[in-house]
Amino acid sequence: MTEHHERVPQAGTTDAGDTVTTIDAPTGADPKFTSTRPGDLNAWWDGIDEDLAARPANPEYEVAPLQSNEHATVYRPRMTSIDNYVIAAWFSVPHGDGPFPALFTTPGYASVVTPAHYDLRQRYVTMTVMTRGQRGADKPYAAAFPGHLTNGITDPEEWVFRGVMADILRAWEVLRDHAAVDTRRIGITGTDAGLLLNARRPGAKAVQVTSTFWYRLGELASETEAYPYEEISDWVRTYPDDRDAVGRSLGYVDPQFQAGKVTAAVHLNRDRESRFLDDAWLAPLVKDIGSELAYYDVTHEGQTDHDANDAWMSDQLGVDPAPRSWQPEEIGPWR
Amino acid sequence: MTTRGRVEHYQCSVTRPADFDAFWDQILAELDGIPLDPELTPVPLRSTDEVEVFEIHYTSLDDVRIAGWYCRPHERHIAGPYPGLSIVPGYVSEPTLPKSWAKMGYAAVGVAPRGKLRSNSQFNPGYPGLLINRIIDRNTYSYRGFYADAVRAIDFLLSREEVDSSRIGVHGSSQGGALTIVSAALRPDIVTCGAAGAPYLTGYMDCAELTHSYPYEEMNEYFRLYPERQEQARDTLNYFDCLNLASRVRAPMLLYAGLNDDVCPPETAFALRDALPGEVTLHTYERCGHDAGNYWEMRNVEAFLAEHLCPATTNEHAQTTVG
Repeated sequence: MTEHHERVPQAGTTDAGDTVTTIDAPTGADPKFTSTRPGDLNAWWDGIDEDLAARPANPEYEVAPLQSNEHATVYRPRMTSIDNYVIAAWFSVPHGDGPFPALFTTPGYASVVTPAHYDLRQRYVTMTVMTRGQRGADKPYAAAFPGHLTNGITDPEEWVFRGVMADILRAWEVLRDHAAVDTRRIGITGTDAGLLLNARRPGAKAVQVTSTFWYRLGELASETEAYPYEEISDWVRTYPDDRDAVGRSLGYVDPQFQAGKVTAAVHLNRDRESRFLDDAWLAPLVKDIGSELAYYDVTHEGQTDHDANDAWMSDQLGVDPAPRSWQPEEIGPWR
Repeated sequence: MTTRGRVEHYQCSVTRPADFDAFWDQILAELDGIPLDPELTPVPLRSTDEVEVFEIHYTSLDDVRIAGWYCRPHERHIAGPYPGLSIVPGYVSEPTLPKSWAKMGYAAVGVAPRGKLRSNSQFNPGYPGLLINRIIDRNTYSYRGFYADAVRAIDFLLSREEVDSSRIGVHGSSQGGALTIVSAALRPDIVTCGAAGAPYLTGYMDCAELTHSYPYEEMNEYFRLYPERQEQARDTLNYFDCLNLASRVRAPMLLYAGLNDDVCPPETAFALRDALPGEVTLHTYERCGHDAGNYWEMRNVEAFLAEHLCPATTNEHAQTTVG
């Protein structure tokens, strides 16, 4: 099990709801993008904050009887985000006396958002958010996959991900303000959107990045033909005059330019065998992180990696870990 | 870490209905009576000098229009005819554009069975929801049409003159692994080979007992609310279980599974291996979960498909298949 080839991170989700760790990439291509901090970066995010402040979330909780069980009650809250867009979430509260530690999962680049796993719902208040375009928040805008990533990308004020980023901030606010949540013990897990979230909304105790997506996205797109990164390349190949505008928009959501504002303890998954996740690649991201930073070196054994990440977050938030690995008594030979 | 029994010797509770073959023969006859009516729309945005990309639509069971992506080598890059390859999707993921496979020389279709984006205007059970949609009635259960839509992807490939009908493969992981088995079982004279990772929809009821991970957790949730429907559901699922469909498969199959897969328990991968009557290889990966060891296994998948389908080049590599 030692053969491997060059990999890049992917921020989709598997059927398990876990973030996928890697996809293939060709080697040797020259980068077509450089990651550059937009001069009006803070103004762009401040504009989102102003729009959010002008619209109360007014969360509306509806119990989901099918997903509720002996351990937790599950809700499908709806809430207002910018542009008066109504987004949704899966939200669960363990039975018993709270407040409870909470776990916020950043959305992957995928249509479907599922409730948090059974074993998470037992230990945390959980929230998985359906941002605009994703199923559950797909009216009036139903995102296309591929296509969502580049929708309006040449204008940062019209790019759909201005709204998506607002949706993530809004959902976080709703989680944080819920009476069942112990606000001293909130964790964020998933893609590197968690770093953006913590930079803009301090308060989480821990941020876990199981897979980067927004970090150096343009550069990565230049080096792989795998979707969803290829969406960027498709656009620039078709509209070469848009390259600078695309690169500028991606700069607003690149977490390296906000890393200095991160306050939570950070757990960063690293792959020293991939030039897209090794120390050299991650250096621009981590150099400004002033909070506690820990690395996890991925093994690509999915359950090993899951259990290690679960153990770190459990330790941060003061709950028991829930490893999903088991020891087979005997494994049969290959046939 | 807990200890689990010998996965290889687990006994699944699936039984084969007496009219199992008649049930599927009737569906296939119905399907064969529906004109495919394929439509191809070029997608210049996604096409390159090496690969032509089309958005496709075709008609399936119940006259539902099904969408997909079709990627074939540009003639200037690789001349036809091409082996055909159906890349079948996982449960929550949207079908990817199989451009990387086309670059290797395959005419590849990535199908969006009913309920997936672009195929959900006539049927949309939602996610979660597909697995339990009409689970108490085999004649209206969601996977009746869903399976047919995957079969029709094979028919679509056959409709293309640039595709060599003697070289048709199927590949996917998780639900895609199940649909690989389904395609090979329901088009046994056509499908040349199949590579199935972490096969889902195999030992449904057993899996629901073995795991609390989605999608099978949908069943646990449903039976918690409606315990009286469990046996009726079991009767339905016996018609759709890959362990029963396996006996119809004649093509060589490659299976791979993670021995710590909490989503599609590995016990059922072993059971599937034993149920497949023809040439079958199972690769297992310790400490891997639903990834099924794809970090290492994709090279085996590419080699297996190339061995049976003989694409023009093996110098390129495919995008890793996830469920």
